[in-house]
Amino acid sequence: MRNTMKVAKWEIKRNMKNKSYLIGLLLTPLIIIGFMVIGSFFDDSDEESSESTVVFVNDELGVYDDMVSTIEQTGINWELMQTDLTEAEAQEELEDSEETAYVFVDEEGLENGSLAVYTSDDIDSFFMSEVQVLTGPVQAKQMEELGLTEEQLAGISQGVQFVEAGSINEAAESGEEGMGSMEENPLQTLVPGIFGGFVLLSVVFTGMAIFQSASQEKKDKIAEIILSSLTPSELMQGKIIGYFALGLIQTLVSTVLLLPVLMWRFDQPLLEYLLVPELALYVFIAILGYLLFASIFVGVGATMADVTTAGNFQGFVMMLPFLPFVFIGPVLSDPNGLMAQIGTYIPFTSPAVLLLRLTSLEQWPWIEIGISLAILVISVWAFMKLAGKIFKVGILMYGKNATPGEIWKWLKA
Amino acid sequence: MEKMLSVSNLGKAFKDKQVISNISFDVHKGEIMAILGPNGAGKSTTIRNIMGIMYPDQGNIHFQSTNGKEIPRHRIGYLPEERGLYKNVKVMDILLYLAELKDYPLDKARTRALEYLKKFDLEGKDKVSVEELSKGMGQKVQFIASILHEPELLILDEPFSGLDPVSQELFKDEIRNLAKNGTAILLSSHQMNLVEEMADRLFMIHRGKKVIYGTMDDVKTEYANFKCTIHGNNDPKQLELLPQVQRIEVNEGSTILYLDKEVNPNQWLKQLPEDLQILELKINRVSLHEIFIDIASDKNLLQEKKAGEVYA
Repeated sequence: MRNTMKVAKWEIKRNMKNKSYLIGLLLTPLIIIGFMVIGSFFDDSDEESSESTVVFVNDELGVYDDMVSTIEQTGINWELMQTDLTEAEAQEELEDSEETAYVFVDEEGLENGSLAVYTSDDIDSFFMSEVQVLTGPVQAKQMEELGLTEEQLAGISQGVQFVEAGSINEAAESGEEGMGSMEENPLQTLVPGIFGGFVLLSVVFTGMAIFQSASQEKKDKIAEIILSSLTPSELMQGKIIGYFALGLIQTLVSTVLLLPVLMWRFDQPLLEYLLVPELALYVFIAILGYLLFASIFVGVGATMADVTTAGNFQGFVMMLPFLPFVFIGPVLSDPNGLMAQIGTYIPFTSPAVLLLRLTSLEQWPWIEIGISLAILVISVWAFMKLAGKIFKVGILMYGKNATPGEIWKWLKA
Repeated sequence: MEKMLSVSNLGKAFKDKQVISNISFDVHKGEIMAILGPNGAGKSTTIRNIMGIMYPDQGNIHFQSTNGKEIPRHRIGYLPEERGLYKNVKVMDILLYLAELKDYPLDKARTRALEYLKKFDLEGKDKVSVEELSKGMGQKVQFIASILHEPELLILDEPFSGLDPVSQELFKDEIRNLAKNGTAILLSSHQMNLVEEMADRLFMIHRGKKVIYGTMDDVKTEYANFKCTIHGNNDPKQLELLPQVQRIEVNEGSTILYLDKEVNPNQWLKQLPEDLQILELKINRVSLHEIFIDIASDKNLLQEKKAGEVYA
């Protein structure tokens, strides 16, 4: 273990002194920031030209005019219109309209303290928080109509809220259940997951550097000198740990640089969203994912004389980390679907698929998570073993790439 | 002398091909022991088995310092045949890293590294990146790395390959020095002249088998017969008929007479015919180089000599 740490320390030190690593370290977050800034320019111009949200108000209380002036004051980009459609009719209407919402202001809603809102499918995700400004005029009306007895005051202080009765398809199938489901800010659940994904991505990319490093070891012909002082598995583990630390450094630097920019851009308390218990699980999943790919890469790297001469077999292995991309679409559209479940149980895809599912699901499928983590842990252990066997022989083979047949023989040995 | 390493009955096969078999030798404290042999004879395989980089199929490797099979990695210095250094690091950094891997105190390593860099004409190169070094310089750094931690057993696989004569001398001196100070040295080479000058004992290997094993002097008396080189225009047939001549080799203007093992040079010289044209005459022992070439080119001269055959 001491030797392993020496190797790890060396790999870290060596890379930290390497200009291209340092440039990459700082450049990656800067490029992301750059894209965001450019993106925000495009966003602005989009907003100006895009149609504003049309909000129909079915006003039975006579607060429409007040609502218009409230909207004007807040500067929200809405086109307010009056309507006398019923809730059922409004839902039908919404089936084929865009950027539209129906707000029902009636006595019944006022008594319950919740007013129904129906939105078209594509409505902006911030709409539900924006719509709350309309409570002002409604409450004023409430106070005006009722005398100010103590009871009534209590009723008022209870407040009134607009509650999403569902966007059309949800409302159609689940009726009342859809009510109030989107009270939380979506970012709150997304942020830890995105961070976990980011950790996974950056350690996997750093993991690919292990591959380089293992094959460079052969190209530089230093392996035999190093192996006169320690065992192949110590060398391999040292590399895996060293590059893991480098990946974490990358993540840390990126986070420190990116987080303030993101907080400014989205104007949300991201740090608060980030530091939640779920994060621990996400990071754990990301680490398992790293260990899996790192052991595969270090093993395959040891079979190659030169990075540029990757054969079909090695090339295929290099593509493994990109396999989860196949699952992104299906998982997002149905986080509990068959594809999502398959992805959860394949070790190469499970870290990414798990992260994706956990962030998009409200109810976590604990049994599936458990099985998936177990599969992952066992695979990590197995691949480490196999990589050790390949590494031991491969690292000393000079001048040619190992064929799959040879690798198979080493594995059996 | 204290045995630092003993190898007995070592055997190793790759697939069906037996690469080495029945290799046995010792390395003693303070001596230079050479493994000689043509390319592909099994020198590096033998060394890699000793270093635990390969595992022998048969035989035993015994290290004195651990009193067993376990390799005392920290007390061995190893310069492999396939060697190099990380490219994008500073010379001193890599020397210290390799010393650290051997658990050698770093401050001591630094002082010694600077001393050796100076000794090998690399003063001031400690902060230079390895990729800026020439091949020879790189080799010097590798050599320094292998001796920096004061190993008690030093294994050098082809240490002289690729070196210019000046550097060869430097290496030779340093290796002799180390041996004088008690380091046991095992070196492999195919450069006979160098080995002949410095080795105390040698083990010649061909096609994975032992050919000669013994001290340099023994080997010379045993295998290196006298030969007489005569410059001058003489009839080869006449020379061939001289007593105790095994075979002759005719070159332009000179003839080499290979003599019997039992020959007495003084007496032999006295009975040379008077009409012989001698512009120059040299009598010396067959060099290790010649023995080696004979073996390597499969002339099997030694055996033929023993059978007393004339080889022309």
